Amino acid sequence: MSDIDLLALHGLAIKKSGSAAAVAEVLGLSAEEVQVALDTACADGRAAGAGGTFMVTPAGRTWLDERYAEEFAGLRQNPASAEAYEQFERINRKLLALMTDWQMMPAGNERIPNDHSDADYDADIVDQLGALHERAERPLGGFAELEPRLGRYRERLEHAYDRVLAGEHGWISGARIDSYHTCWYELHEDLLRLLGRQREEPS
Amino acid sequence: MGVSNRILVLDGASRPGRDVVGGKGASISEMRALGLPVPPAFVLPIAECRRFHAADERLEPQVWDAVLGGIEYLEGETGRRFGDPASPLLVSVRSGAAVSMPGMMDTILNLGMTDAVERGLAALSGDPGFARETHVRFCAEFGDTVLGADVDPAGDDATADTVRAAVLADTGRPVPADPHEQLRAAILAVFRSWSSRRAIAYRRHWRIAEEGGTAVVVQAMVFGNLGQQSGTGVLFTRDPLSGALSPYGEWLPGGQGEDVVSGTHDPLPLASLAESLPGVHGQLLEAAELLERHHADVLDIEFTVERERLYLLQTRVAKRSPLAAVRFAADLVADGMIDPGVALGRVTPEQVQSVLSPTLRESAATGGATLARGVPACPGVASGTVAHDTAAAEDADGPVVLARPTTSPEDVAAMIAAVGVVTERGGSTSHAAVVTRALGRPSVVGVGDGETAGWAGREVTIDGTAGVVYDGILPTRTTRAGDVPGLADLIAWARERVQITLAAEHPRVLDLDAAGLRLEPERRSDPAALARAMCGAAAISGSVLGSAEGAQAAVRCGVPVIVPLPGQREEVLLLRLAQAGTGDMR
Repeated sequence: MSDIDLLALHGLAIKKSGSAAAVAEVLGLSAEEVQVALDTACADGRAAGAGGTFMVTPAGRTWLDERYAEEFAGLRQNPASAEAYEQFERINRKLLALMTDWQMMPAGNERIPNDHSDADYDADIVDQLGALHERAERPLGGFAELEPRLGRYRERLEHAYDRVLAGEHGWISGARIDSYHTCWYELHEDLLRLLGRQREEPS
Repeated sequence: MGVSNRILVLDGASRPGRDVVGGKGASISEMRALGLPVPPAFVLPIAECRRFHAADERLEPQVWDAVLGGIEYLEGETGRRFGDPASPLLVSVRSGAAVSMPGMMDTILNLGMTDAVERGLAALSGDPGFARETHVRFCAEFGDTVLGADVDPAGDDATADTVRAAVLADTGRPVPADPHEQLRAAILAVFRSWSSRRAIAYRRHWRIAEEGGTAVVVQAMVFGNLGQQSGTGVLFTRDPLSGALSPYGEWLPGGQGEDVVSGTHDPLPLASLAESLPGVHGQLLEAAELLERHHADVLDIEFTVERERLYLLQTRVAKRSPLAAVRFAADLVADGMIDPGVALGRVTPEQVQSVLSPTLRESAATGGATLARGVPACPGVASGTVAHDTAAAEDADGPVVLARPTTSPEDVAAMIAAVGVVTERGGSTSHAAVVTRALGRPSVVGVGDGETAGWAGREVTIDGTAGVVYDGILPTRTTRAGDVPGLADLIAWARERVQITLAAEHPRVLDLDAAGLRLEPERRSDPAALARAMCGAAAISGSVLGSAEGAQAAVRCGVPVIVPLPGQREEVLLLRLAQAGTGDMR
């Protein structure tokens, strides 16, 4: 994706209501070039901004959906991306179930919020997260080859997992920080948009 | 015993320590030494892992000979033979480091399974479906754990052949057909896992020495599926949900191992074991009492009955609801197992906060039309006006309940702004469920397509524990300490230990929130900054006192008076302060 206007608006759609710097962080670009692109998007009605924070407008969304289809037609038809996405989905299901296990532990035949009193239970989840993290390298490597920008997610996930290993457990599923789940959730959204797929929530 | 010193038989005659045989091996020895029925097992001690790595990941022939000797011991104890279809011995292989750490290999069950053994097991149990399922499970587990295969979970029509083919296609390596090769590969995989990337990264973070290593426990499997005089179950020594004194558990006649845990079959209450096998039931309760006294805590015990013979498979400290945690702590003091100081360390302030949280119990019973039902995703009660989109949720003045078809990352800001969340699609493992739990926002997910369409601007109440959305703002009832069994005792013990006075008001209160030391979610407070602010103050108040760091600083500075903020429960503060006073008791 070479078109900075598309890229910046795409990053904003994933991040939602971000500053140019926050969007640049997701994309691995400089804040200056993203700022210019988002200012252009505002002038053309694709984004709205106040106080340095931007949002995609409904018109911007329509524009994005049209551009995705053109820009990523090749990616969408490439069997390699379909294969990587299937691998990703398989891991995604396990990862979400694991996040749930992290937050809700079994007690008797019910689930209750994890009170982190059972160190072995927590350690096992950290371990399983590591196993999934390693397994995700295959699809993520595949995506990074097809679309180098996506390699940025690998770095962010690696960073989050490293914090988890260091015992900072908020980095597993914390929603206010760039935790493992936050990065994964944004990666998932990024892939859905690029590949024109619908979100399938496990039920 | 016919085995060399390269392995240890875990028969309870000696009590090797965790540093020699790992946690699991030590626990099996301990149970055997207590005279409890545990399936026979042997262990390759941690020292063998060191030798293996020192020898460039080669297993010395003497070690393998010793393993074969260990298998002979298991065959002698069980009367079965490894790889013999007529009377098959199956074994499990587990890793066991002195300290548990990430990266160690997971348990593999049912080693020794082959096509012929599957047929033998089908004849033996009279249940070909079960035999096939066990074989499928083994191949999938071996592929996943030893070979690192990433294949879809096996469906109902899977056979050993289809799973083996999928594993081979994914990894280029076959699941061995020979039981001894299976065992050898599993043992090597455990030893290798000591130097897995994750294990190395973890040791680097925590400065754990690279030497060390993991033991390998090899244990005979017992069969709960050999007819109605067999089965499997789990027993909690007390009720882990209500905290009641009576043992609580489940029994699955004719079930094997994970069937209870995995929830694929509907188990019966424990009382039915008392009816069908009263002797076994009595023996189980005796073991439970012995173990509870030995550990001085409430336990869960996984057990299997093979032809009227009881085996204990695993014993752990039971995970418990907040209500049960409070009651257990007080009851174990009454039973003379622990003293009040230990009891105060057995309950977290979060658990006390949870049992004291407002409930809908009465108002939900008396009225409030149900708008929708869904999957309870994050427990708790929340009331507010419904907003459908992020902009509306973020701009609203009063409390807002966000209602969305599904959520995407761009909705996270709105979920933070909202007091509760409802989604139309998705289950308990959806992204929305994960995010709301991380935020502590009560949520109900999967209420159905289009269900929330007309709700904009409407006032609703969410019960995230029951998975119900009510029309209107329902009144909640505050819970008092006296309503919760055991809590009054705990609070009294905490009061005896805390020097700080809690007062409703004070003429000179230092407001820590106003001083810039407000408690931020997902951020740790700086203890030095807290101490600087608190020391010398006549009285303090602040959200940070609800955290361990805040309470520790207050105790260390010898603050004389704390004025709780509105919404800060005295019981929670007292427990925090009592725990801060004695250091970390957990």
